[in-house]
Amino acid sequence: MYNTREEEKIHIDWITVIIYILLVAFGALNIYSANSTPEHSSLFDFKTEYGKQFIWIGIAAIIVFFILLTDANFFQFSAYGIYGIILLLLLALLATGSFTAGAQAWFKIGAFKLQPSEFAKYATALALAKFLGTFDIKFIGKKNIMICFGIFILPMALTLLQNDTGSALVFACFFLVLFREGLSGWWLVLGLYLAAIFVFTILFPSLYLVGFILIICGIVAYFFKSHKQILYMCAIIFVASSVFIFSVDFMFSKLLQPHQQQRILVTLNQDVSEYYKHKATEFSLFKIDTKKKDEKKSKRDYSYNVRQSKISIGAGRWTGNGFNNGTQTKAKLVPEQHTDFIFCTVGEEYGFLGSALFVLTYLFFIGRLYFLAERQKTVFSRVYGYSCASIIFFHFFVNVGMALGLLPVIGIPLPFMSYGGSSLFSFSMLLFTFLKLDANRVHEINRM
Amino acid sequence: MERNHKLYIFQITLGVIGLIFIVRLFFLQIVDTSNYFKALSYGSNEVTIYPDRGTIVDRFGKLLVYNDAVYDLMAVPEKVKNFDKVRLCKVLQIDTFDFNQRILKAGRYNKKVASIIYKSLPINIYSQLQEILYDYPPFFIETKIDRRYNIKGAAHVLGYMGELTEKQLKAEKYYKPGDIKGMSGLEKGYETYLRGWKGRKLVLVDKFSKQQGSLAGGKFDSVPTTGQNIISSLDLDLQEFGEKLLANKIGSIVAIEPQTGEVLAMVNSPNYDPNLLVGQTRSKNFGALLMDPRKPLFNRAIKAGYPPGSTFKTIQALIGLQEGVLHPETRYYCSRGFHLGSLTVGCHAHGSPLNLENSIAQSCNAYYCNVYRSILDNPKYESVQDAYIQWSKYLNSFGIGVKTGIDIPEESTGILKKPAYFEKEFGKNWRSANVISMSIGQGQIGLTPLQMCNLSATIANKGYWITPHVVKAIGDNKWLPEEFKVKHKTMVESRYFDSVIVGMARVCKPGGTAGRQGIEGIEICAKTGTAQNPHGEDHSIFIAFAPKDTPKIAIAVVVENGGFGNTYAAPIANLLIERYLALDRVVPTKRPDMLEKMLKANLVGAAIYNLLKVDSTLLKPIIPLKAQ
Repeated sequence: MYNTREEEKIHIDWITVIIYILLVAFGALNIYSANSTPEHSSLFDFKTEYGKQFIWIGIAAIIVFFILLTDANFFQFSAYGIYGIILLLLLALLATGSFTAGAQAWFKIGAFKLQPSEFAKYATALALAKFLGTFDIKFIGKKNIMICFGIFILPMALTLLQNDTGSALVFACFFLVLFREGLSGWWLVLGLYLAAIFVFTILFPSLYLVGFILIICGIVAYFFKSHKQILYMCAIIFVASSVFIFSVDFMFSKLLQPHQQQRILVTLNQDVSEYYKHKATEFSLFKIDTKKKDEKKSKRDYSYNVRQSKISIGAGRWTGNGFNNGTQTKAKLVPEQHTDFIFCTVGEEYGFLGSALFVLTYLFFIGRLYFLAERQKTVFSRVYGYSCASIIFFHFFVNVGMALGLLPVIGIPLPFMSYGGSSLFSFSMLLFTFLKLDANRVHEINRM
Repeated sequence: MERNHKLYIFQITLGVIGLIFIVRLFFLQIVDTSNYFKALSYGSNEVTIYPDRGTIVDRFGKLLVYNDAVYDLMAVPEKVKNFDKVRLCKVLQIDTFDFNQRILKAGRYNKKVASIIYKSLPINIYSQLQEILYDYPPFFIETKIDRRYNIKGAAHVLGYMGELTEKQLKAEKYYKPGDIKGMSGLEKGYETYLRGWKGRKLVLVDKFSKQQGSLAGGKFDSVPTTGQNIISSLDLDLQEFGEKLLANKIGSIVAIEPQTGEVLAMVNSPNYDPNLLVGQTRSKNFGALLMDPRKPLFNRAIKAGYPPGSTFKTIQALIGLQEGVLHPETRYYCSRGFHLGSLTVGCHAHGSPLNLENSIAQSCNAYYCNVYRSILDNPKYESVQDAYIQWSKYLNSFGIGVKTGIDIPEESTGILKKPAYFEKEFGKNWRSANVISMSIGQGQIGLTPLQMCNLSATIANKGYWITPHVVKAIGDNKWLPEEFKVKHKTMVESRYFDSVIVGMARVCKPGGTAGRQGIEGIEICAKTGTAQNPHGEDHSIFIAFAPKDTPKIAIAVVVENGGFGNTYAAPIANLLIERYLALDRVVPTKRPDMLEKMLKANLVGAAIYNLLKVDSTLLKPIIPLKAQ
């Protein structure tokens, strides 16, 4: 028979576990650095945030222990149940939010704040894996495809309704999972294409862009005169792109909230106040609603976070200032440095060498997860593994990209590193559930 | 193997992103050093090193103004947090509320820049603070300089220093809040030479704001440039003697070396002790001086336009001679004054008719009424207006009606009206008779004591003058601006000066208007003046130069409400000339009677009484001021 504890411990992927421990420990160090003051430097002061983080780490260890004790089949068995509970929690949040006339993303239980959206990713990964892992179901056919999309778009929408745009965006990483399971790569290409057009529309006058696409399509069409299909393609691409371009202004000004518009503009190095004037006088089909922008704040205010983040990282030079010695870090110049901007501490205190090593280690860690996912024998484990890797990957990409000023400010944590109980618990559960499944792989083989 | 193919895509994507991030990191951390320097500037305190301001000495090298170090407690407001406030406040001897207000105030100006928290620390607080400051890393002490004076006088020439207003701070980026700058006199006129250039030191601070030594080995530091010392043209001995003589009177003395235009003395009375306007007592004392009805801050010597009275006859004679309407032997009758229809300009009893020389010596009013009429009614000109314009040009060539260009700011032009003024006053066809009082320096004419002295110097030079200046040389290479070497030629040729000088030489001799005020052995050329004024007793005025043939000093004295020119102004001027020409300055005066009378005289009481009659709001107790 299968499943004795000794055997599992042997089969768990120790490389991943070691990196996990390193990341959590390194995260705690950086939180200490970002939060301790000369007056409050005691390591186990539980009023401080680094003190609390030690408690979270302790609790996470207990959670991990229980996950490893759990029967591997439990996850597949209870996937829909967990998914359902999380959806109910998200709905309940919305309901309380409407009572208190303001969106909120967490439940308060005593001194703890529980953020269901963090666990929603975990639940969604389980549910998607369960669905695709069901016997006789594949990522083929309209109905199945719609169900797959539905599984992650539902919690995404609920999170979005809570005004937690960052966490909602994370659900987009399930496209990567579906890509693995058979979604055409063209959809991803289309996504990138639209993103590129979105950026260019903000940077350049719309008509120039339309003209540019027309010329490209025209050239392609000229060389493939005889291929009717390509001619049709060109026409469709041109028309669709043009419609998209002219709707970007509209989407940008009407659908996004002012602070989101500003963050995007800041990332693209556009002067916010200039942008509105320039767009309003331009030959856009839709006039920007200038009243919507927040008049009081200038570009400086919006770019403050990113500017300080870049200065902190830049201050590190080759080897950094050393642990607990970053002047920017100690001066608390970067807002949210212990949560979303924890990477600044790494940059300032460990320099280029330290940060580069950190980035490489993290990417190796994610790569290892993808590798583990691919070697799974059951569809459930594989889909879950890909989900796990992709969620962590998306968080890492957006979080570090934002700290480096490459992406707009989107407030999502760096897994295992950022301060916060909910995020540490959910990522630990996500990871160790997968490691448990991976360890169990051997028995799956035996069963076959 | 379609499946593995997709795994590769994932792993290649990871690799590409890793590459992008690392390139970006390399750019931010290694290539682009601006972030690094921004962080450095946060991690360091900029300490301004104030240069020594140039000292000022008199023409013989006697120290007048020097510097003393003062210590300001500074802090960057945003770094001030978490410290033992009570202990610091106890040392500073202020309460915590006051302390919080200071931090808030500094923060309002700029949170990120070090500002003064406590200005000019008293020396006992400073020494206590030095001991405990190590425990208060965001605070540091900046050493600045403040002026100290070796003398109690010459305040108007030297000028005072003051803090800049917010408006001035915006306009002049060199200064920061709390800095002092020359606000008047020499200090203002030569500010850029005296102040030098500030240096700075970037002190590296660690995360606790504790100083860790120089930043980047002093790469970004700069050494201050010391201000240039100035040798003033003042003769301190003469200046102090003048102040003594003018004490308890209201008025002014200006003495110039005619050949060089160097100002030997510039005395104002009342004046103030320059030591009043330094350090922490500056603003309090300044307010009190400003409110003082005697106007001690007012530099009468260059700002007050007095009617020159009979001293003006000298220049009338010169213009008449140059215009050819007057000859040294021209004589006019005087029957106790000048009569023209109903118009009478009175005169005192003297022999008549007089020639030019004696008209000056005896100051005949009628003579100059005739001279001025002949100038203005000269048929050479189409109208009185044209003649008046020409006459004004003569005056301008003597530095009258225009600024002389002295190197002390805020000089006044005096009073010289344009023809349009008389048109308004007397109608379009105004005549010489309308302005006849100007012939004897009354009415619509006003000269500053400086202009009077310059007139005297010009006569001494027989037709040229050099822009008066109070600075003899600047800096180590004893440099003087070229403008103070240029000879300004008057429109009167030098040959016409002789008869006027001969006349002036008779003034202090028996028979002259100041016949009893002469000093034996010195050939003084002078002219008395008695200026009527609407505010009471006449002003006593005297211009002079000596010795006659090789003039070494030209002087003008105005004593407000002093009566006749020979009552106060003449004795004061002559005593000063005597002292200046007696090079060793120890020779006892030959006129001790005159000296004693001058030292005893007190005209301020009457003047104040007059002032109070005019404006009763000035009736406030005069608070005695204390220097620091």
